[in-house]
Amino acid sequence: MQRGSKPVPLRRVSAHDTIGIKWLYLIHAICSAAEAAAEKYAISGALRRPGMILKKRGNAAVVKKKQWYKLDNAGVLYSAIQREEYSAVYRFSAVMAKPVIPAALQNAVDAVMPRFPGFAMRIRRGLFWYYFEPNTAPGPFLKPDVADPCQPIRFHEDAGWLVRFYYYQNRISFEAFHALADGVGALTFFRTLLAEYLRQTGVSVPAGEGVLDLNESPRQEEMEDAYARYVGPVARRLPLVKHAYSNRGQAEPFYTFHVTMGFLPVDQLREKARSYQVSVTEYLAAALLWVLAEKQRGENYHRMRPVTLAVPVNLRSYFPSDTLRNFLVTVQPGFDPALGKYSFGEVATQVHHYMRLHTMPQEMRSQITLNVRYQSNPALQLIPRVLKNPLVAHNYRTRGVRPFSATFTNPGAFTVPEAMRPHIGHMEVVLGQATVPRPHVASISYGNIMEITVAGTQKDADLEREFFRFLVREGLPVRVESNRTDTGRRV
Amino acid sequence: MPYCVHCGVELNPAVKTCPLCGTAVNDPAACPTEDRPSFFPTRRAEVAPVTRNAAALLISSMLVSVSVCCALLNLALKPQYDWYLFVVGAAVMLWIWFVLPLLVNRWVPVWIRLTIDVGAVAVYVALIALAMDGWAWFRGLAVPILILAAAVVCALGWLLRRGHSVLTTVTLSLTAMGVFCAGVEACGDLYFYGEWSPGWSLVVLAVCVGLCIPLLVIRRVPSLREEVRRRFHF
Repeated sequence: MQRGSKPVPLRRVSAHDTIGIKWLYLIHAICSAAEAAAEKYAISGALRRPGMILKKRGNAAVVKKKQWYKLDNAGVLYSAIQREEYSAVYRFSAVMAKPVIPAALQNAVDAVMPRFPGFAMRIRRGLFWYYFEPNTAPGPFLKPDVADPCQPIRFHEDAGWLVRFYYYQNRISFEAFHALADGVGALTFFRTLLAEYLRQTGVSVPAGEGVLDLNESPRQEEMEDAYARYVGPVARRLPLVKHAYSNRGQAEPFYTFHVTMGFLPVDQLREKARSYQVSVTEYLAAALLWVLAEKQRGENYHRMRPVTLAVPVNLRSYFPSDTLRNFLVTVQPGFDPALGKYSFGEVATQVHHYMRLHTMPQEMRSQITLNVRYQSNPALQLIPRVLKNPLVAHNYRTRGVRPFSATFTNPGAFTVPEAMRPHIGHMEVVLGQATVPRPHVASISYGNIMEITVAGTQKDADLEREFFRFLVREGLPVRVESNRTDTGRRV
Repeated sequence: MPYCVHCGVELNPAVKTCPLCGTAVNDPAACPTEDRPSFFPTRRAEVAPVTRNAAALLISSMLVSVSVCCALLNLALKPQYDWYLFVVGAAVMLWIWFVLPLLVNRWVPVWIRLTIDVGAVAVYVALIALAMDGWAWFRGLAVPILILAAAVVCALGWLLRRGHSVLTTVTLSLTAMGVFCAGVEACGDLYFYGEWSPGWSLVVLAVCVGLCIPLLVIRRVPSLREEVRRRFHF
């Protein structure tokens, strides 16, 4: 993670913008005046806050400067496209064996946040880019859980916090803005939080096995921008289907977010996946693709479009990194039902081979390089943020929405130290609302329970109904929980 | 544990219908259970949006500020003309278009809203007429065109008030555009020449009618409509 002492806009434009140099001097003069005013407070020490660093200037003057952090490649995207009708927020929940004690959980949050400075951020609007700065406001505060999770983040509300904590009965929920971290980073944070919560309730949980030590300082590697580290010589774009089956439904009124969860035994699911000679992720992805294709067939279009999934791949398995920030690329498994009738086994095989073919380090590195080059493109850097946001949003529509029928993510098995295991019943994961009314699918396993969430703002429950029915027809026992009061089913 | 007879999935004992298909859950062997908390929380939390009054105040202050600045500038720049009235008129028009709906909280019929919007345009044009001493063209040309615009817009708003398909919306909008163009030419002819001699507006009207006919046919024939839906993937 890059760290600087100068204000972001100055650093960004000073090398390129010769026309606006007078303006830069003016801005610099204003900043200097602000610093001089801040100096008074710094010397008195009255308003010194943890997020500020002190720097010597001249003989004895001490100048207060704020740290700031550059957003990584994924963070730039999620910040630019964040709006009221789209939520780049995801949620991890742990359903504990006993009802949650709110005071203990708040203590745990307070204890854990300083160890994870990457999550204790607020987002600021720069002239050319968004940027992070440490959030020194009180909080974040624990809240009772709400019916519609993963509500969009508003950068200026909730004291600027980009993480939220909720409790309900036995459930502890943690929501994070995707610009902060990906699932791996968030799960490391959540695991440490759960460990600290259990300690607060009298359970002895040692650090290690994924639980970070709260007594040690945050390591620089945990906050690095791993994308920048693994930039290669060649930038290539993954070949994408340009226009996939859109799978859109009728949108619910704002803030109505349908969440349907299915629970099934991991051992039986693994056995079933093995019967097709694929992994559990590939099996679930194939099942989803199969259901999407059948749904499209039922809607009776003149010509079927390809059905595809956006599947994030954790890059840490291929490029060693300890970063807790975003480090993923998206691949696009799918098939084209217009070519003819596929059996489910053929779809599963296609997904399996696609994932093997397109998760090669060389290819993923070229994708990373392309994304980073886009971010460091001098022409793009000089465009003000307000003009750049629509460009990024358009790019996301054409490269991140239209080519996909749905999103499917599987962070994998959630593992905890032995001492924590009896205290956690199962895990849950929810992805926030998509830019269009269609569901996102996510899954996570803990112990022998696989939890699959289908969540979205569309009125109909067609996808989740057919998906879980498919798993039942495959012989897997599925238990369903939902916050739906209406299936939106057409009679 | 109850199961859905259609989906085959296990359900929460507290639910009355399957959340996937809506089928009623009938379990004769089920014993009445005590009140168990629902699996998901039921407390709805909505982030409070920006208040309408605050937004109205902000926009109003901006419009007033612009108007005052231009009026002051008019004292020094070309004071022989009251050009600041153009800016004030534009500000009034924008205020009626954007701020008034923010201040009126209750539902207002669409035809009233549209009439008020066209009235705002009339006020703006009247201010221009006042500044340029052009009451003759205002009465003879602008007022009839504005009345025609109000009638066309209100009729279109009334016809589309309940939301229609894309085909219906496009057809009605094209028709309204053709009728409006014919009316504008008629007003112009009557003002300048004293009689109506249809010309360019007939071309526009013919184009609009020509575009509407295939849309109407598609709209009226279900098989064609379904075919269009299938081909365009919507």
